[in-house]
Amino acid sequence: MEAFLQISVVFLPLLYLLVAAGYGAIFFADPPRARKIFPKVFRGTLALHMVYLVVLTWRWQQFPAATVAQALSAVAFAVAVVYAFVEWRGGVASTGFWVLAVACLFEILSSLLRTPNPPYREIFHNPLFSAHAGFGLLGYAAFAVAASYGFLFLRLYSEIKRRSFSIFFGKLPPLEVLERMMSGALTAGFATLTLSLVAGIIWAEQIFHENWLHDPKILVTGLTWAFYGMVLGLRRSRRWHGRQTAIASLVGLVAVLFSAVGVNLFFTDVHGFL
Amino acid sequence: MSRGKLMAIRVQPSTPVKREGSPPLLLIGVDHRCAPLDLREKVAYGAEDGAALLLGLRAAEEVRGAALISTCNRTELYLTPEPDGAGAYRLGLESAFLSRAPEVEAEGRFYVKHDLDAARHLFEVACGLQSMILGEPEILGQLKRSTERARQLGTSDAVLRKVLAAAITAGGRVRKETGIGTGAVSFGFAVVDLARNIFNRLEDCSVLLLGAGETARQVARSLRESGARELVVANRDPARAESLREVFPDLRVVAFDERHQTLATSDVVVASTAASEPILGSRDLRQAMRSRRGRPLLVTDLGVPRNVEPGASRLENLFLQDIDSLQQLISQNLRRRREEVPRVQEVLEQELLRLEGGLRGVSAEPLVAQLQRQAELIRKRELKAAASRFPTETHDALEKLTRSLVRKILHHPSRQLRDLGPENEQEELVRRLFQLDSTDSDPR
Repeated sequence: MEAFLQISVVFLPLLYLLVAAGYGAIFFADPPRARKIFPKVFRGTLALHMVYLVVLTWRWQQFPAATVAQALSAVAFAVAVVYAFVEWRGGVASTGFWVLAVACLFEILSSLLRTPNPPYREIFHNPLFSAHAGFGLLGYAAFAVAASYGFLFLRLYSEIKRRSFSIFFGKLPPLEVLERMMSGALTAGFATLTLSLVAGIIWAEQIFHENWLHDPKILVTGLTWAFYGMVLGLRRSRRWHGRQTAIASLVGLVAVLFSAVGVNLFFTDVHGFL
Repeated sequence: MSRGKLMAIRVQPSTPVKREGSPPLLLIGVDHRCAPLDLREKVAYGAEDGAALLLGLRAAEEVRGAALISTCNRTELYLTPEPDGAGAYRLGLESAFLSRAPEVEAEGRFYVKHDLDAARHLFEVACGLQSMILGEPEILGQLKRSTERARQLGTSDAVLRKVLAAAITAGGRVRKETGIGTGAVSFGFAVVDLARNIFNRLEDCSVLLLGAGETARQVARSLRESGARELVVANRDPARAESLREVFPDLRVVAFDERHQTLATSDVVVASTAASEPILGSRDLRQAMRSRRGRPLLVTDLGVPRNVEPGASRLENLFLQDIDSLQQLISQNLRRRREEVPRVQEVLEQELLRLEGGLRGVSAEPLVAQLQRQAELIRKRELKAAASRFPTETHDALEKLTRSLVRKILHHPSRQLRDLGPENEQEELVRRLFQLDSTDSDPR
């Protein structure tokens, strides 16, 4: 079991790199063989990642978010699952590179930040905490997917607007579809982050007796949540359209990364875990 | 085309040269590269006169099979001559081309290819490599129709059927596996391409045509073919706008002054009037965008001078394209198609190799058939002679047994002969071994 975990820590980022490179080949050169091979390699990688997370949970007998590294791997998995769903529904692999590159980035970070023995945390056995962490990770994954589609939207939008057509033109889904995917991911991310915060607040009230609201992690996450709420509100009121929402999704991803990695590494008191 | 180039393609062989190892295939053709439109028109064939030509050729002693491809850019006659059909070339040239345009030969405005070169040319035609617009897709459909016509008329023999089928397969593969046919290369489809990069479904899009000239007509045709939901036209001269109904019966005509209001419900605007001043100002479009509540608007300005104020391109979600940007898109797509040519050639070489293998079998077919006929003759004769010595109820079983024996004995030699192809030495040996009469050739 331990050997499998150690091998997976090395192989998973490599496999994600291979998959991202393969989907890059599909996007930029589109050789027929790549279209046949890499979706299968991706599904294999996804299956291995799932087994890895299950084994990790089994090995440490706790939710796999005890460290930043574990949580990042879970986010990478969630991003990949979301993309697998998109590919399965849409039947096209043209956006794969841009989403799976994000999953790859998370997985590489996870392997680099890995610690050999994650701390045992009693609180991880609390169902409220599991909901808090699970929804939080799902929210981060959804925001990462939204940012990927936001980037693609901006790229295609500016190409058509500037009348300068590169390889992106004709290879991506239309702007309306990219916008819908981005908005869907933002809405899903906001909903799950809200659930995560609600579960976290209830759980923290039960556990902590100090003023836990002052924790930097909670403050940054609260600000992130408010930012996404504002974006969705402006979009709903039709004051913001695709372009503004796409920019916001990219800005939001920076906040998410800061909240998920930066704050945990340098500032947090209460969140020793993710 | 320069005189020098014409000389380079002038080919006047008296008899087709048969390449060893491949059955004879002869191509005589006229296309856009070697003949001007007025000459191509003369040698273009419709369904009826094309059928008459093929049946006439097929009836001739020199010809075993014939097929014709006739489009606006090419007329190509594919023949499989009889082994001693030295006159097939002259017959094909005169019947298909010189009878209609004698200057074809005088000016050398045709080409002749043989065997695998002819097959390679046909493959390139199927893939659009020989087309006026590189990679254009219509030719594959035209080739399929020509193949079907020759089959229905009974003018294509086994070799020709194989070559035509292989060309269709190669054309299909190339379109699937390479980008030779991707990207718009006409104004109409460039607009379609742009719309498809913006809107989820063209079937939900309403198109507003400002102007009713030839450009508007062409772009509207491309948009309608691609599924645009609604066509609306606004033109200064309402009668001219109404005339578009001949092509698009469900077209909606609105007054030219109503064009600004119509913007709010349109998704694609095609402006192609001869107006000397812009007919759509930035202010009109800003107002339209406000009422569209964020829904994108594609405005293509094909007018010279421009019909739309260029400043409108700054508006959020409004995509303004002019004639230069469409031209740029077309040039870029053509360049990408040219870059795909080596990949196309790779596929063609693979398919040609496969065809060569297939044709070897076809070439050996008459010999194999003769061998099987000979064996069947012997089987029947011996069975008849022996039948009286066996009870009647066993005759069916004997029939089955002998059939099975002959089939099994000949199975391997037949396969070997097909694999070997039409090697004269082998053929003579087989004929001597099995006492096959060399004059008993397979009837077509």
